[in-house]
Amino acid sequence: MAALEVVAAFALPGWVGPLIVLAAVLTTAAAARRLRGLATISLAASPLVGSILLVNLFLLPGAADPIARLGPIGPTWSGLWFGLQTVARLMAFSLAIGLVYLTTAVDDLLADLARRGVGRRAIFVVGAAVQMVPSTIGRAGEIVDAQRSRGMDTEGPIWRRARGVLPLAGPVVFGALTEVEERTMALEARAFSAPGRQTLLRVPADPASHRVTRWAAILAIAVIVLARASGRLG
Amino acid sequence: MNVPLIELEAVSFTYPDGPTAVIDVTLRIEPGETVVIIGQNGSGKSTLVRHLNGLLRPGSGRVLLDGHDIHSVHVAALAARVGLAFQNPDRQLFAGRVASEVGFGPRNLGVRGAELEARVAAALEDVGLAAEAETNPYDLGLSRRKLLALASVLAMRTPVLVLDEPTTGQDARGVARVRAVVASAAQEGRTVIAISHDMRFAAECFGRVVVMRAGKVALDGSPAAIFAQAAWPELRAAYLEPPLPAVVGAGLGLGSTPTAAALVAALPGPAGEGRGRPPGRAGNE
Ligand SMILES: Nc1ncnc2c1ncn2[C@@H]1O[C@H](COP(=O)(O)OP(=O)(O)O)[C@@H](O)[C@H]1O
Ligand SMILES: [Mg+2]
Repeated sequence: MAALEVVAAFALPGWVGPLIVLAAVLTTAAAARRLRGLATISLAASPLVGSILLVNLFLLPGAADPIARLGPIGPTWSGLWFGLQTVARLMAFSLAIGLVYLTTAVDDLLADLARRGVGRRAIFVVGAAVQMVPSTIGRAGEIVDAQRSRGMDTEGPIWRRARGVLPLAGPVVFGALTEVEERTMALEARAFSAPGRQTLLRVPADPASHRVTRWAAILAIAVIVLARASGRLG
Repeated sequence: MNVPLIELEAVSFTYPDGPTAVIDVTLRIEPGETVVIIGQNGSGKSTLVRHLNGLLRPGSGRVLLDGHDIHSVHVAALAARVGLAFQNPDRQLFAGRVASEVGFGPRNLGVRGAELEARVAAALEDVGLAAEAETNPYDLGLSRRKLLALASVLAMRTPVLVLDEPTTGQDARGVARVRAVVASAAQEGRTVIAISHDMRFAAECFGRVVVMRAGKVALDGSPAAIFAQAAWPELRAAYLEPPLPAVVGAGLGLGSTPTAAALVAALPGPAGEGRGRPPGRAGNE
């Protein structure tokens, strides 16, 4: 479900995907009484959201429909539009994953997937993705604190805050990369040492070269997603 | 450089949905003092120092710089006076070049041009990374990434320097660099406040030791007082061990010898003769 929502958020063009997903996530969350948790996640994402909006609003390449003229740069309608769309996608993505985390004990989820005959590789991926959520939230808070300590202005006028995108997004990406790698190793160690479960699949051989390729692919996806989210690939 | 007097008055802080991490802490830190905060993990050290530049605002109590309550001063403004280096470098490094990383803080303070370049160069020199100015930060090992994070705060040239666990995860060479940074900042008259688990670093490099336990200040005094045998029960209650020279000195009945140098000076015999002994006795022989 969450995977579907995540894919939908990015694959469906324009507004349709993200909005459908957001609606689905919010309905599910309301039913599961987890709206508060989602609010926390939204709050944690707010610096990033603000940055995305600002950067697109002022700096969207090729946008030529100004809302107002303020010297060399100015806000544009297409920038605003694109920024909102990016934010909708980002929120759909993070809330969908966040909801899974809030409503599911990770071990239960993984055990359940295994019982349904899902391959171990897929389980690693799901496990790593789901477990990244809380740590990313905590890490994001500390990154903001560290950059504020270096004089980055998050309380001043808007144009000064807009400078914070790269200093905030950079460490989030790098941190996520290193962490996924660590979690992968930990997960693999645990999964491979677990007593054999009843499963119809044979355990696939998993040579180091495959692991490297697989994680390189996942990391590449993470980078693309975050780069897009930060507005840098536009 | 106007080095401010720092005062915390009955500061308490509770995390939303979390523990009360700092409880009724009152501290007065004179300009130019060097203070090390020690205490078990989770005792509230990091939470406490985040009040010094306004990242956290006290739930009750006040934080004052030179007698002025900082409650309404922005972090970005306080950052010019109180530099805070975080424990984990990977939660702040973002630039593609070591030099730009170090320049970020001073640029935020409005420093530009030759002055900026001079500050970046000097900070990199101080931590031994002068040769790496063009390197990508993520090509450095953890120990050097940590020194880079330290340099990025040094370059801001703040009158107060706060270092959260600067020696944790450092190799011996890195620890030596950190010690040198603390010594030269103290030499320049800046206030240095560090958090550490390294008792040797604490005893040798700081004039004052503050012991935190469960959110409160349990002990506060000179290294000689804090590591004296009388304070050991309190130290151990905070899950801390006195430094080795202190244990040896106490075992030999030499009084409080928190550092190797103090121990050697207090030892009888040729090594200590004329140094630790009262001068009158040497004169009698
Ligand atoms: N962001 C946070 N949210 C909730 N609780 C926290 C947060 N940061 C620290 N704590 C809690 O506050 C207490 C003190 O933490 P901290 O100040 O980091 O201690 P120390 O630096 O001495 O290890 C601990 O119980 C810790 O779990
Ligand atoms: Mg800490």
